[in-house]
Amino acid sequence: MEPDAILEELAVAGPWDVRGDGRGVEAPGLDVRAMARLMLDIEARWVTLTVTPAPDDGFRLLFHWDLDGSLLTISTEVPGARAMSIADIWPAADWAEREARDYYAIEFEGRDDVPALMLRPEDEPGLFSRTAELGRNEDPADAARTDGAAS
Amino acid sequence: MSPIIPVGPYHPALEEPYKIELDCDGEAVRNAHITVGFNFRAIEWLAERKNYTQDLALVERVCGICSNVHTLTFSRALEALAGIEVPERAKYIRVIVHEAERLHSHLLWAGIAAEVIGFQTLFMTCFALREKVMDLLEAVSGNRVNYAMNKPGGVTRDIVDPGMVAATARDIHAAMAKDIIPVFTTDPTVRARCAGVGVLTRDDALAWGALGPVARASGLSQDLRRAAPYEIYDRLDFEVPVRPEGDVLARIVVRALEIVESCRIIEQAVEGMPAGPTEVGDFIPIPAGEACARIEGPRGEVFYYIASDGSDVPVRVRIRTPTFQNMPTVALMVKEQTLADVPLIQASIDPCYSCTDR
Repeated sequence: MEPDAILEELAVAGPWDVRGDGRGVEAPGLDVRAMARLMLDIEARWVTLTVTPAPDDGFRLLFHWDLDGSLLTISTEVPGARAMSIADIWPAADWAEREARDYYAIEFEGRDDVPALMLRPEDEPGLFSRTAELGRNEDPADAARTDGAAS
Repeated sequence: MSPIIPVGPYHPALEEPYKIELDCDGEAVRNAHITVGFNFRAIEWLAERKNYTQDLALVERVCGICSNVHTLTFSRALEALAGIEVPERAKYIRVIVHEAERLHSHLLWAGIAAEVIGFQTLFMTCFALREKVMDLLEAVSGNRVNYAMNKPGGVTRDIVDPGMVAATARDIHAAMAKDIIPVFTTDPTVRARCAGVGVLTRDDALAWGALGPVARASGLSQDLRRAAPYEIYDRLDFEVPVRPEGDVLARIVVRALEIVESCRIIEQAVEGMPAGPTEVGDFIPIPAGEACARIEGPRGEVFYYIASDGSDVPVRVRIRTPTFQNMPTVALMVKEQTLADVPLIQASIDPCYSCTDR
């Protein structure tokens, strides 16, 4: 499937921003599960999920796919910290969603639970969000602990 | 009630921590649960608080084996952001070091696999060969682990004795063809231990996002050096070994054949390396924007995303390493296998927990 046909199928206005590293598009209101199913159908390859904080307390989710060697990045913003899971469609996304939970406390709907991956089960999720104001010489591990004990 | 056997965080095959809990029925593994994060260092967090020069040294420490691939991917992401074209000679040097790193990584893994199989002579042979690659890397870069060869806009050092590099590649190529590949592909001990063990099907490899030699041993043919060529790979003649079986033996064979291809690539790169500058300059302003970069590392695709606000400190750095994708597939590979095969199966993906945990 051609990249433009992907946008048409997902009802994303586009167009693709064509760069040296591949193509990217902003897709407000993206149905991420429809995207996941389409990528499965066309035998695209999962690359990863990048999460970045958005200016208005939400998050920007960047879904990276490989289609015949070309990198496609489809980005959408979610308000708050809730997003739909695609791990049942793409098991490859499981660890990336768990990592997003660890770093940004994103809650993924549609899965039984989102266990910690890099953090320990007793650690509070959202390590990067909670430590966003810390400087380079401080230790985020101290903020990971909820018992007040320093590392 | 089925016994659950915990293995790790310290475990028998590799000297890195992770934990696998095996739900067993007698000797048969019915299910597995993997725990990682014991080496979590929040490197993405740290990278967003240091400037680009400091980050170059930081990302080289993501991995102690494929350290070069991290600086190369990081540099290429910044070059994409800044719109920089690297000088030709630097591209050749990057490819030579990149392939030498693949050689040492694959030979390290082959030696460990031989030891896990119980083939001590082969372990010694692989490590003796790897030592030649380590000597080469030390001669080129001055270092045996973190080579510090890449920087945005080029490389930090020239290769002053390309003849030595080509001679080493020829030596390894010959030894692989004469000794190691025949043993790995035909020896009855290796076959008995590895054939049909720890199978990952093509469909599962795709669904779980397997990468690199693990994916290619399950019939997925993608190699970024061919599918999305970077540096000078579009000008080089090399094969991409692919096997359909998906078992431990297929993963061994793919890596063994990749060693030969890396030798061929190094020989061609040395022969074609032009004279000229090796960098564009010391100071490269990074404009606001975002960029991704991908490199085919020894274990598979390494992915970086960098967002910049125009300052000298990145706003966001995302690092996705190949073992991060390959490790969950071990839970599929060990199902219905015997407990005794688990160390070999998990070693067969050539896992790197330092990379995974970052």
